[in-house]
Amino acid sequence: MDEPRRLGVILVAPSLLIVFGFLLFPFAYSLVLSFMNYDLARPQGNGFAGLSNYFRLTQDKFFTNSVIVTLIFSFVSVALEIVLGVSIALVMNQKFRGRGLLRALIIIPWALPSIVNASMWSWILNANYGALNALLSQLGLIHAYRPWIADPGWAMVMIVLANVWKETPFTVILVLAALQGVPPHLMEAAVVDGAGAIRRFLNVTLPLILQIVMICALLQIIWSLLHTFELVYVVTRGGPFNSTDIIPMRIYWQTFKALRFGYGASMAYLAALALLVPGIFYIRFAYRATVE
Amino acid sequence: MKRQGLVFLAFLLIGASVFAQETITVIFPKHEADLSGAFASRVKDFETASKVTVNLIQMGWDDVNNKLTAEMASGGSAYDVVEFDNGNVAAWLGANWVEPLDAYMPKNFTRGMIPGLVDLFSGADGKLYGIVWNNDTRFFFYNAAMLKKAGIANPPRTWDELIAQSRILQSKGIAKYGMAGFWKAEWALVNDFHFYAYAYGGKVVDKSGNFLFKNDPNTLAAAQLMVRMLKEGIVDPASLTYDQEAVNNVFLKGDVAFLSQGIPGIMAYAQDPARSKVVDQIKVGLVPGGKAGVSAALTLPEAYAIPKGSRNKAAAWKFIEFMTSRESNKKLAQAIGILPIWTEQYTDRDLVKLYPYWADFSRQMASAQGLSVITWYNNFVDVCIAETQKMLAGKVEPRQALNEMADLLKDYQGKP
Repeated sequence: MDEPRRLGVILVAPSLLIVFGFLLFPFAYSLVLSFMNYDLARPQGNGFAGLSNYFRLTQDKFFTNSVIVTLIFSFVSVALEIVLGVSIALVMNQKFRGRGLLRALIIIPWALPSIVNASMWSWILNANYGALNALLSQLGLIHAYRPWIADPGWAMVMIVLANVWKETPFTVILVLAALQGVPPHLMEAAVVDGAGAIRRFLNVTLPLILQIVMICALLQIIWSLLHTFELVYVVTRGGPFNSTDIIPMRIYWQTFKALRFGYGASMAYLAALALLVPGIFYIRFAYRATVE
Repeated sequence: MKRQGLVFLAFLLIGASVFAQETITVIFPKHEADLSGAFASRVKDFETASKVTVNLIQMGWDDVNNKLTAEMASGGSAYDVVEFDNGNVAAWLGANWVEPLDAYMPKNFTRGMIPGLVDLFSGADGKLYGIVWNNDTRFFFYNAAMLKKAGIANPPRTWDELIAQSRILQSKGIAKYGMAGFWKAEWALVNDFHFYAYAYGGKVVDKSGNFLFKNDPNTLAAAQLMVRMLKEGIVDPASLTYDQEAVNNVFLKGDVAFLSQGIPGIMAYAQDPARSKVVDQIKVGLVPGGKAGVSAALTLPEAYAIPKGSRNKAAAWKFIEFMTSRESNKKLAQAIGILPIWTEQYTDRDLVKLYPYWADFSRQMASAQGLSVITWYNNFVDVCIAETQKMLAGKVEPRQALNEMADLLKDYQGKP
């Protein structure tokens, strides 16, 4: 090996060690674990299990429930984030006083650490002291404070609300950036042709920002599928009666509470495989956007 | 040159003494009654007496449990003394995570300790794996001032009496509800499930893993009681969102008249005007039973244990021995009212003078029972939380909830 190449290898080696140590090795080890019975609390049954963990998942009512809950949570959240995000971006693209300040403030929810967001919403939704109850009571919309997260339907609504509040700014910022790329002369021509605001949006603006919107949607789907553990853990713990028990909560419980590492690993791998679908679409859209 | 040499030698000696000093890392939850840092202060006393430095980590119970599970599962050596909860005994012993203490303990060390507390942390091999630091037996508290105002002479002896008294208190506007329950979707809900089962003379699971809850009429009656109290407005409807701290706060605010499972330190909290609106109003009663004469409390003791991965086991034992000694136990009892683990201290003159209501506690402790001791306890918790909440929300009848629990846990039937 010549000198420059050897130097290159030496310089890259620490990064490779990190990638191997913290990514590839755990990734491979988890895959191996998923084919094993690995119950720390009852080690006498540990050993190779083949595909039995995966078969057991198909019979596991709690896991099936988690999949359904996660899909509902994910798609409702993302739909709201996209609609709200695009709407807010369109408003912020107009000229008005204080626009600069608003553009700076809008990112705050997204910049909050997830655990802070979760703790904040836990207090907002508190049955006795929560700001939501106080506000609704003062507006005359409720006559008595309600334990919102004690009801399975409302618990899901509140979790979605908390997630949308946090994630919408990301869509706003990206769509706002995309709107800067809409050529002004196209809009002027549409105005001259007599197109109304909705028509201009649908025929001029939307086609030009669609790629960015799709990328936002795919990223939000990926994040909502597996990155909302803190929110559910802090606010509802997956309750009431598993109505907000998303897949990460189920994986956490099986692995770190029930100590069934093999079974937990099989859940995690199945979830990761499911993520490949939006992941592949994301890569295609992102590649196409870059090429164009 | 000579001066520089002396300075260098001084630094060398200081450095050597620092490195020579033993250091252990200890993790356990902050005691609910420890508002003044009494445990941390006692740890400092240990450091002075033993010359062992302690890195003390204290946080909420759930946070400690989450941290520990990951560390113990990975066989790490980050901690030398760990929190060993009664709910984890079977699982941790099954996983061989903690060191038997018999090799370190002086002979007869546990003589004089409350026998039930010692038994709970002993393995099937007869060895002792944990020494209790928190005798967390739960007691029944009631607002005597509220009862007096309502013309009720005595606290309830049965749950039917509690319901009747609650109705009187609510109808007269003295209390918003009879009581609140910590029925949020977390571990403590299953404590309550056990509590009500025991209060009715029911059983849950035996040590061999046989389901006792499924066909036991007493456990069914207990489950029906929980549903009835919520449906009839005796229990605060927000209970499905409450954890233990929230329930304590609701009681100390004066919104409810009864606290079914209060920590011993509640009396201290209740007397603190900064935390309580019910100063001088709270008394201790016996846990009501399904019928008169039946009473059972839940005990949730926590112990110190030494993980297998610890590299300072001898120093770790010194810490445990010091912190659970008669002297430490008495000092902590005097400072923050923790319940002693040594039998003789319940009649200690100084302590009885400080806590005259301990006589009431000791009446209850004779009937205290622990949680189910099974290696698959966490799986039981997972299923029990979901089915109990479904039952409380009225989605299924109690009998159906118990049957579904049995069905979901059928793989563990008969397994210890």
